[in-house]
Amino acid sequence: MTAAPAIPQTQTAGKRWRIAALVVGLAALIILPLVVDSPNFTRILFLTLLWVTASIAWNLLGGFAGQVSFGFAVFYGVGAYTTALAINAKVNPFLAFVMGAVAAAIISVLLGLPTFRLRGPYFAIATIGISEAVRVIMTNVGFTGGASGYRILEAARFRQFEHYFTALGLAVLALAVSSRIANAKFGLGLKAIRQDEDAAADLGVNPYKYKLAIHAVSAALTGAAGGVFARYAAFVHPNGVFGFQTGVHILLMPVIGGIGTVWGPVVGGFVFGIVEEEIVASFPQIHLLLYGLLLIVIILFEPGGILGGVREVIRRFRGLRRQ
Amino acid sequence: MTLIDFASLLVSALLLAGIYSVMSVGMTVIYGVMKIVNLAHAGFMMLGAYFAWELYERFHVDPILAALLAFPVMFVLGGLVHWLLVRRLPHSDEPTLQSLLLMFGLWLLLQNIGYLIWGNTDRSIFTPRTLSVVHLGPIAVSTVRLMVFGVAVACLILLEVVMNYTWFGRSVRALIQNRYAGLIVGVYEDATAGLTFGLGIGFAGLAGGLLASLYSFDPDFGRAFLIRAFVIIVLGGLDSISGVALGALVLALVETFSILFVPAGYQLAISFGLLVVVLIVLPGGIASVLAKVRRVA
Repeated sequence: MTAAPAIPQTQTAGKRWRIAALVVGLAALIILPLVVDSPNFTRILFLTLLWVTASIAWNLLGGFAGQVSFGFAVFYGVGAYTTALAINAKVNPFLAFVMGAVAAAIISVLLGLPTFRLRGPYFAIATIGISEAVRVIMTNVGFTGGASGYRILEAARFRQFEHYFTALGLAVLALAVSSRIANAKFGLGLKAIRQDEDAAADLGVNPYKYKLAIHAVSAALTGAAGGVFARYAAFVHPNGVFGFQTGVHILLMPVIGGIGTVWGPVVGGFVFGIVEEEIVASFPQIHLLLYGLLLIVIILFEPGGILGGVREVIRRFRGLRRQ
Repeated sequence: MTLIDFASLLVSALLLAGIYSVMSVGMTVIYGVMKIVNLAHAGFMMLGAYFAWELYERFHVDPILAALLAFPVMFVLGGLVHWLLVRRLPHSDEPTLQSLLLMFGLWLLLQNIGYLIWGNTDRSIFTPRTLSVVHLGPIAVSTVRLMVFGVAVACLILLEVVMNYTWFGRSVRALIQNRYAGLIVGVYEDATAGLTFGLGIGFAGLAGGLLASLYSFDPDFGRAFLIRAFVIIVLGGLDSISGVALGALVLALVETFSILFVPAGYQLAISFGLLVVVLIVLPGGIASVLAKVRRVA
């Protein structure tokens, strides 16, 4: 019994550190753009926060519940187009984001009803098919301009900080949802499904319903991110928001950061977003090459991603110190 | 629709099925032996296409011959990739997400190496043969398509012979049917898996080279074909080689005849939609339905 209390103590210490890091990080994200006051800097942070939101959202389904989807571009696109249509119909932008989120969630349920009958890799393959099918349909339908894209005409003046703080609020909301689910019974159910679907069902978790529910939450967050992006860009086109690349990016971030954890996708999203927006400008091809390489290395040598790698280093460091 | 229209659609569907089989058979053998869904197949097809194009542009090698030459080169590359990466994956009787993501990373890598070397301009192979036509009675058929079909069928027959009459082929079939029983009777798994991976990638290269004669391509070439290959192998029952030909024929018929009912722009959406429908409705493929019918009868 003497050794037992030591563990909770380090846990609370870790928790205190985490809260401190959260407060500092959030303060930095609020203050930095105002201090630096460079539109390009704010733009990069804005896009990064949207990537972080999508990354956290993907991790809810892919990390917590273990259902890898290549099809999140569908939700990003549905959110973007719904918001675009709503804003052009003179709806309040923030209501339009909610509409985008709801539309994405509805679509996710419609897609999930058949595809969650499939397991693991078969689900993953089906999502590739769905994503591409939706993109092809969106390039052909008339009322949103098809392949030419769709323009948003907003009467209000463009204020970059308004967009930025919307994205920041959304990212914080996504993180709150993610950490709430991770610590709730719902999250434990998802974890059980990831580890062994049949065993989870035996324990009274209905895998089908759980997957549909988390799919809807993920889709709503991704759809809202798509909507915020659409309002900022004022122009959406199917090969952008519905592009296979978009789905790929959303999948890469949490895998790189550390799948199945609360903070991994946040780390992955920030690394990806900043690297992406900076490198893309100068080397449009090399960045995905790097991610491909990184993905291979992570899968073979460090399945925990960046976060797992850092934790490993810290553990070794502590071990050394103790000796 | 006249009878002649119908017949020409039928012929073009059949010709399409030939190249579709070659493109999917590599995925099938790899899946059968290793239970890996090879997402990187598209990347290797792209490499095969550019290989054929480079040989044609630089050395004026006949594109069809160049596609055949892509096979041994890609075979070696496949063996190398297996030795370097794939064999490090833990073995599993079910396809794992880990292997899926690894192959996906490899695909991204290959695709962007392609962009780095060849840029993103569309390329195509244009020979005097490209526009020529053979008349089979009242039906006109493109010469290139006919040649590609001939090569595809010849290669599939060769594969069938290898699978049935060589030690390697027997090992492959043993591992597909029952891995543990295969190990007990002395199948050397590592070597067989390595050769199978080489074989699968070789077929991807061959298919890419052949497709290069038919369509234009860029480094993202292969994504649409990859999804078609999924449809085909799922229709065929995932690990049966003869099922692939059947699946390819079904998909080719659906794609060709769907033009009569839906605008051509939506054609891709049909094959991709079909993938989802087939995965859900026919998880065992057409073969399982036939087996069920036979059992009832």
